[in-house]
Amino acid sequence: MGNSPTEQPGRTGRPNEDGQLHSEKPNDDRSPAQGISVIREPARNDDDAWTKDTVFEVKGVTVCYSGKPAVKNVTMDIFRNEVTALIGPSGCGKSTLLRCLNRMNDLISSASVDGEILYRGQDLYGTKVDPVQVRKLVGMVFQKPNPFPKSIYDNIAFGPRVIGMDNVEERVEKALRRAALWDEVKDRLDDNAYGMSGGQQQRLCIARTLAVEPEVILMDEPCSALDPISTGRIEDLMAELKEDFSIVIVTHNMQQAARVSDRTAFLIVELDATEDSRWGQLVEYDETGRIFTNPRDSRTEDYVTGKVG
Amino acid sequence: MAPRTRIPGTERARLATSGAHATTLRRLTAQPGADIWKGNIFLAALLFALTIALAGLAAIILQAAIEGAPAFSIKLLTNGPSTVNPEEAGFRPALIGTLYLILGVILLVVPLGVAAAVYLEEYADGNRWWNRVVELNVQNLAGVPSIIYGILGLAFIVRGPLDLGFILAAGSLTLALLVLPTVILASREAIRAVPSSIREGSLALGATQWQTIRRQVLPAAIPGVVTGVILAVSRAIGETAPLLLVGAATFVTFNPSFLGDDGYSALPVLIFNYASRPQEEFRVLAAAGVVVMLVVLLAMNSFAIWLRNRYEQQW
Repeated sequence: MGNSPTEQPGRTGRPNEDGQLHSEKPNDDRSPAQGISVIREPARNDDDAWTKDTVFEVKGVTVCYSGKPAVKNVTMDIFRNEVTALIGPSGCGKSTLLRCLNRMNDLISSASVDGEILYRGQDLYGTKVDPVQVRKLVGMVFQKPNPFPKSIYDNIAFGPRVIGMDNVEERVEKALRRAALWDEVKDRLDDNAYGMSGGQQQRLCIARTLAVEPEVILMDEPCSALDPISTGRIEDLMAELKEDFSIVIVTHNMQQAARVSDRTAFLIVELDATEDSRWGQLVEYDETGRIFTNPRDSRTEDYVTGKVG
Repeated sequence: MAPRTRIPGTERARLATSGAHATTLRRLTAQPGADIWKGNIFLAALLFALTIALAGLAAIILQAAIEGAPAFSIKLLTNGPSTVNPEEAGFRPALIGTLYLILGVILLVVPLGVAAAVYLEEYADGNRWWNRVVELNVQNLAGVPSIIYGILGLAFIVRGPLDLGFILAAGSLTLALLVLPTVILASREAIRAVPSSIREGSLALGATQWQTIRRQVLPAAIPGVVTGVILAVSRAIGETAPLLLVGAATFVTFNPSFLGDDGYSALPVLIFNYASRPQEEFRVLAAAGVVVMLVVLLAMNSFAIWLRNRYEQQW
């Protein structure tokens, strides 16, 4: 706890490596030689990674609440038109990390973000960047469905209206169709959204996010309050949506990560020697198939095989 | 083995079963002891307290209705007050004065109270000492006696910096200051009751903080704000002391206006005046005035409750 603020996460060394690497390997290596050797490594599907566009480049990010780190020194690239999953035990900082990506952490006055997050090459925390504009491009779906206490129509129309889009009516229908909700609600658009089932409410929240045409959708355990059928619907939806959007999902459910995601990041809770300080740390970030079948780190293997929870 | 043992076995089983039933029944039956009595006494005490409260209210209404009955007529609402002719006297200028006063109070107190509450809830950083001082003071202000606001009104609004003179608007302003803390506190409660998930949902769509407050938080807080305004107005409508200080006269025979400086009156002021006269006829008038005031109060509260139910929201 005491030394954490001084421990500036690799601002100096790592960004270069990652810029070349597209960060297949974010784990905090101690061997200086590794950086060079990995670049040459024609590993697996790295070709794929080379050609893909990144949306986010997370470089040595540390997030602190009141000076206590919640997640330390995370470096990873998030790719366009993919579903990227963040998994790990409770308290490993995956939600914290997710909320950095659209600057929702700004709402918590005690939170501070160190390191660098680039969104399509631009520093998301640059001095000229307005968090409100960031959130227009990077939408978010929350753990618990949180429809507004308004009609179904107004729930969707709210976003386009406040950001001054035209053709609101068209956008509402389009968003509901994209969220596979149109047929269920088209006859009751004026009903209060609180009359919908939990699964429908969550799809409404997704539709609401789609209506403002973001480029990225962040999902913070979007299915944890839902039954298996609703969960299945939302997972199907994610598979369709990644054609047009990039999705980052935090999930407690490893099977869900395996089902829906293209890439998976595994985070873990670290304790310091005296165990009075704990923080999240990125252990491994790779293609989902590899994380679940052939992880490099034994801790990842223990987690995904259920040896540790 | 089976035929020989089965009969006594069943017997024994039956005995055992009935014994078990009896035991269970005994354990389920109420225990003789003080517990039940204590519960009943407690319930009785609660009902007693409720009865006292309701009886007081009923007594006031009945007493005023019975005593004022001889004076009930349309004249109460259409005629002005009179010192010589109680049969013809009414409350028209005072009633209109009260309605104007309350209208002024609502117009002042809703925007000011809601704005202060929004600042304290949504913008103020509770860790800063000056915000905590403001909070504490708002809470204390809600308990300050009304006569003090009367003196304040006289010194700062009627005379002093504002120098409005003894006009109805000065009375409204004084009453508004008096009930403002109530509205602020109630509005803060209402704003705080709006779940933060609603704010997050709105902000995550790219709405600004102001858009979020204006279009999500405030609409959802309307029921609570309205409740606060009901409480505030109910208090303001019955206040006499501050009004006496800031110039409400008792005998005004013409309809008042907001800014006219030829005097205004209010129901409680006139009731107070009638009630303090020795003649029986004026006492009757005072009682009838109480009924008029209660009717005005009930009408306004019903409207407010209707408004609140219309916007009521379950989370």
